[in-house]
Amino acid sequence: MKKNLILKNFFIYFSALIVFLIMFFPLYGLILTSIQPENIIRSRNLSFFPTEIIFTHFAEVLKPNHISNIYEGIKNSLIVSFLTSFLCIILAFPAAYSLARLNLPAKNIILGTLISIYFLPTILFVIPLFVILVSYQLDDTILSLVVPYTAFTLPFVIWILKSFIDKLPVEVEEAAKIDGCSTLQLLIHIIFPLLRPGLIAAFIFAFILSWVEFLTPLIFTNNLKISTVALGLFRSTIDIKIGQQAAAAIITLIPVIILMIFFQQYITKVVLSGSDK
Amino acid sequence: MTDLLNQPSNSQFKFSREKILAFTLILPSLILVFITYLYPAIFTFVISFAEYDIIRLKIKKFIQFKNFEFLISNYFFTSSVLRTIYFGFLICVFTTILSFLIALLLNEKFIGKAFLRVMIVLPWAVPSVVSGVLWGQMFHADTGFLNALLYQLGVISGYKIWLADPLVALHVIAIAEIWKAIPFMTLFFLSGLQSLPSEVFEAASVDGANVFQRFSNILFPLMLPIAIPLFLIQFVLAMKSFDTIFVLTRGGPGGGTTTLNYFIYQEAFETFNLGRASAAAYVLLIITLAVVLIPTISRFLLKFFWGNK
Repeated sequence: MKKNLILKNFFIYFSALIVFLIMFFPLYGLILTSIQPENIIRSRNLSFFPTEIIFTHFAEVLKPNHISNIYEGIKNSLIVSFLTSFLCIILAFPAAYSLARLNLPAKNIILGTLISIYFLPTILFVIPLFVILVSYQLDDTILSLVVPYTAFTLPFVIWILKSFIDKLPVEVEEAAKIDGCSTLQLLIHIIFPLLRPGLIAAFIFAFILSWVEFLTPLIFTNNLKISTVALGLFRSTIDIKIGQQAAAAIITLIPVIILMIFFQQYITKVVLSGSDK
Repeated sequence: MTDLLNQPSNSQFKFSREKILAFTLILPSLILVFITYLYPAIFTFVISFAEYDIIRLKIKKFIQFKNFEFLISNYFFTSSVLRTIYFGFLICVFTTILSFLIALLLNEKFIGKAFLRVMIVLPWAVPSVVSGVLWGQMFHADTGFLNALLYQLGVISGYKIWLADPLVALHVIAIAEIWKAIPFMTLFFLSGLQSLPSEVFEAASVDGANVFQRFSNILFPLMLPIAIPLFLIQFVLAMKSFDTIFVLTRGGPGGGTTTLNYFIYQEAFETFNLGRASAAAYVLLIITLAVVLIPTISRFLLKFFWGNK
């Protein structure tokens, strides 16, 4: 029995190592490329450990006249992602409450439609939106990104918030209602603070989904007046300097990675909240 | 207290008031969703039967089913449809299997589990442009790790240009997509595993069932209701994938990595043939719906014919 346990443990740690290597190696390779001189990257002597560490690629990318225009990209992406997440929460919070607690007619149909929209091909909606935006000369504006992003992310955010509200104890709300609390007061003063973990999780989800979005800005900002980080990075791939490309990729990654590591528990909660009902 | 006692008399009124309130709360969300989804979907449907003038932004003329007829007789289109289905299937099969295995691992107790979980979730937050760059560098003909590794191990005699071969390129993109899709599905499998009652396993191992028996007789049937929807969702998402293809191969070489979604993009925003693109977008929609609905319909039919025995 004891021998069995050792064997089992060995197997677990061995597979954990394999999984770690597979999932992390691509990112490690990117980091390696970003801190090594171009001649080492291009040489045929394979080395999995950096032999000479430099930060000139990062310095080059961060220069104001670099092709990927990273400052502009980060600024725009931050604005767009914050606005989108904010709008999503404002719209989704009452909607999720209504779906979770109130006597809304055709509740299941509405929720089902909202969720299934998320899986439909995005390109189906992008073509006419492009035509509309161009005809009102709204393309290449922050608005042309925020509105579609919000709409694309909203169903998902509503679903997250609803599953969090489902878990709140109903008694608190009933007690508040007996005390003469109106629904609006209830939402603002009681549900909102209780729902904090859910709101944080939803905000992060919306933020990350907007940060990584690529198809929408690619099409809606065709005159390149507004650039997002994803677009800027893509433009740097036209250039052949691999080290700089990797450095730009890492700069694009940093904000989302920080969010992920700090709020990993909230993100896991989203998935776990749906399971044990 | 009197309020509570009086309730039955005005419950009819209260009832409808709550409905109105519920509707008001959800209305802003619904309006936004309808503006950005329903109206465009109708628009796309209408122009899929028309020739669209991209300069004047007007419908030139209606041509009935000409767009669809053109598509069906177009080799690039039909091959991209088949490619999309193969691509989607490939991705969801591998993602499902790998995610399930990783979830089984994460369900065990070991040191460094929390760290490994962060590492596994990480690829989800990697923007697909970054993942395109990253896998592009991995498979790069001159500077890629794969060439260097295989060359030094003596597996290949010279550096290979991986992305120049259409079939290899398609699978490279699939690898990138699988890597990005694993985190989310793993979390869902993990939550499924954690919600299983542990007594079942304990009873089984007391009864002397070995690992494989426990897997095939207990775990597999219990996890199937979770696995099937995840599989289908991944299928649908894989057919939507665009970014990685755009960054890595631009649909090439020779159209070898053009999936239906990419085909639509090219028709719409490179050749500006919006009518044709819309028709193709509806074909993609129909395939998507078919993928989602086939299991539901077949289950219904099974129940209908065999269920009431």
